[in-house]
Amino acid sequence: MTDLLALSVFGVDWQFLKPFIVIGLAFGGVYALSGVGLVVLYRATGVLNLAFGAIGAAGALIAYYLINHTSCPEWLAFTVCVMAGGVVNLAYGMVFGPAFARRDPLVKMMGTLGLALILLGLMAWRAPAGGAFARFLPLPSSEHRYDILGTSVSLTQIIAIVLAFAITAAASIFLRVTKLGTAMRALANDREITATLGVPVRRVEAAAWFGSGLACGAAGLLLPDLLTSLDYTALTFLVIASLAAALIGRLQSLWATLFGGLAVGLAQSVATPYASISAYRSAAPFVLAIAALLFLSRHRVVTVSRAGA
Amino acid sequence: MRSTKTMIGGAAAGACLLALMLAGWATGAQAPVGSGKASAKKSVCGLGTGKKATGTPIKLGGIDMLIPGVDFTTVGKVAKAYFDCVNDNGGIKGRPIKYILYNEQLNPAQEAALARKLIQTDKVVGVVGNTSFAECGTNWKYYKSKGFVVIGAGVQAECYSTPSFAEVNAGPRYSNIGAAQALIKAGIKKLAIASPDTISAYADGGAALLAEKAGVAVKVFPTHLPVTDATSQLIQMYQFVGDGGGILLDFTPDTAPAFMKAAEAQGIVEKVKWGSSTPIANTFMSGQFSPKWDGHLWIDNEFSNVDPSVGPDSALMFAVLKRYAPKIAPQAFAQMGYLAGKFATSALLGIKGPVTAKSYNAAVINLKNQKTDILCKPYYVGKLPYHIPNNTNIIVDYKNKDVVVKNGCTAIAAVDKSVAQTRVWEKKFNLNTGK
Repeated sequence: MTDLLALSVFGVDWQFLKPFIVIGLAFGGVYALSGVGLVVLYRATGVLNLAFGAIGAAGALIAYYLINHTSCPEWLAFTVCVMAGGVVNLAYGMVFGPAFARRDPLVKMMGTLGLALILLGLMAWRAPAGGAFARFLPLPSSEHRYDILGTSVSLTQIIAIVLAFAITAAASIFLRVTKLGTAMRALANDREITATLGVPVRRVEAAAWFGSGLACGAAGLLLPDLLTSLDYTALTFLVIASLAAALIGRLQSLWATLFGGLAVGLAQSVATPYASISAYRSAAPFVLAIAALLFLSRHRVVTVSRAGA
Repeated sequence: MRSTKTMIGGAAAGACLLALMLAGWATGAQAPVGSGKASAKKSVCGLGTGKKATGTPIKLGGIDMLIPGVDFTTVGKVAKAYFDCVNDNGGIKGRPIKYILYNEQLNPAQEAALARKLIQTDKVVGVVGNTSFAECGTNWKYYKSKGFVVIGAGVQAECYSTPSFAEVNAGPRYSNIGAAQALIKAGIKKLAIASPDTISAYADGGAALLAEKAGVAVKVFPTHLPVTDATSQLIQMYQFVGDGGGILLDFTPDTAPAFMKAAEAQGIVEKVKWGSSTPIANTFMSGQFSPKWDGHLWIDNEFSNVDPSVGPDSALMFAVLKRYAPKIAPQAFAQMGYLAGKFATSALLGIKGPVTAKSYNAAVINLKNQKTDILCKPYYVGKLPYHIPNNTNIIVDYKNKDVVVKNGCTAIAAVDKSVAQTRVWEKKFNLNTGK
């Protein structure tokens, strides 16, 4: 046991590494949560939503405003944060979804980038950063800390990890077992045929937009606590890590997305104490996504044809 | 009956009108902010006449950086607030100051273009209130070629090593040295320093050098902004310094709280001696943190405590902010803007003859012994190859969500030869000796 505790991982004492593993898994849980939302939406609508981070940040800012500038109780503000993610996502999907329905996936994705920029602009306008103030959105769960294997772990960190597994499991079961889930999977395969079979396409898509928005809202609630500050710019760009998780799941597999998210969070955090790679840890999402895509497509046959042959 | 009602209505209307007139008279009778006669106990804006300046505007300009995680525009905004106060108090011999403020996004091309726009297109006579991570380095040669000396708030090396700037603040390097000096005096054996990666080499270099000379193990942690993993970095720093070690944070109020909240969450506030450069030395910051921090902070403050009771300039700054920039909190960047505005106004008022770029910048160079309760020693410019007029600071701490002075005015350790040389010049040319 003593030998195990004295273990050195590439020159860094295991004891020193433990807190980074906890932090990484907690961040990874949030990336996974958001990534699963991205995959569910993509499978149902064909839209890769780049506005996930901005929507989560907007929900967090609304909660911050409610707590600090009104007499709204915290629990209600947190609920509003999660619901705001669902409502904003649903509103975008209902207004712009039909218009983009027959367009190329790239065009659909660029539409969500527009939403991200609009939300960023609105946040910068209504809640400018800077000055003598910093914004915080601490969760009451962070006041509860536990000593696990000699490392201090907060209840928020545990919630982030457990919630990621729970949502992934729930989404998997939902897509397999329920009628709505089956309809979503059918939509992913062929929208036209599914519509012909009498599936209410708009309603199914609305459910996907709203459900994935809730995941995004939950991520927006957890991240400011884990980041120890409510910086909407940082929150907006954390969509990159979620996107990497979704790509690791090839925009199909929820479980692969979950483990992809956890891997991204771990890689980013565990790289911190290694001076030689610490500066590059922000590249972890891209590196892992590319590595996973290369690995998963290793058995694919590349067909090359000559024009006119 | 009808006429009685009309009379009552008329009387009520008359009473209302009278009340309104009285209110108007009462408001009008209130002395405008910054008016009156300047004395040792009272500071005024410019001439302090209380009359609005109406002549041809005198143009001044400034460039402030605004990027995610760092907002330096407060400096320029408060300089403008001071000029607005001057304009409501007779201006510069009847002429108002028109202040043009541009923002830049840490982009050298943009910085160079804006400096040229100010001087060549806008035709400003002086540049005031600049603050940026990189603007000094980008524009110092251009300012020198045009004969401009900028009164601003510096960050990088060129702000304190070229003739083009005479900053009102000490800047992160000297403020970090002051904080490290205090931490070493408090008995730390190891020191971790974190600041934005864009300025880390310069900003942390002096404090690291001081620690090494004192036999204190030191490690620098350059931080990319905006911070996305404060907790990880904080744990890394804590693992290096251990219990009783020193952690020095050099961030603006946008970023420092992320580390401080992470320290609270990790339960290490009381295990470490915390140092910081100036930006978190204000009640708006201290009010955001738990009393756990009380007694554990050694914050180097380049200015006096942010408190209207400190002296006449501090009181006037609070009044100017309340009247002309109510959204800006009293804090170090507000003090910088106030001082930049005050000293630029002193230079303008000292001009005999027409106000031109040449006469204004000559007046700036002539500034010396500019006393203010916001600085430990008087401000000066002088015809020097570089300027470090702010080199004596105080150390403050948090107490019951307030900021309290821990150590009074102390000369920053002369780790850099330029600081030692500056003190020689100060005596030789009587720049801040009051003679």
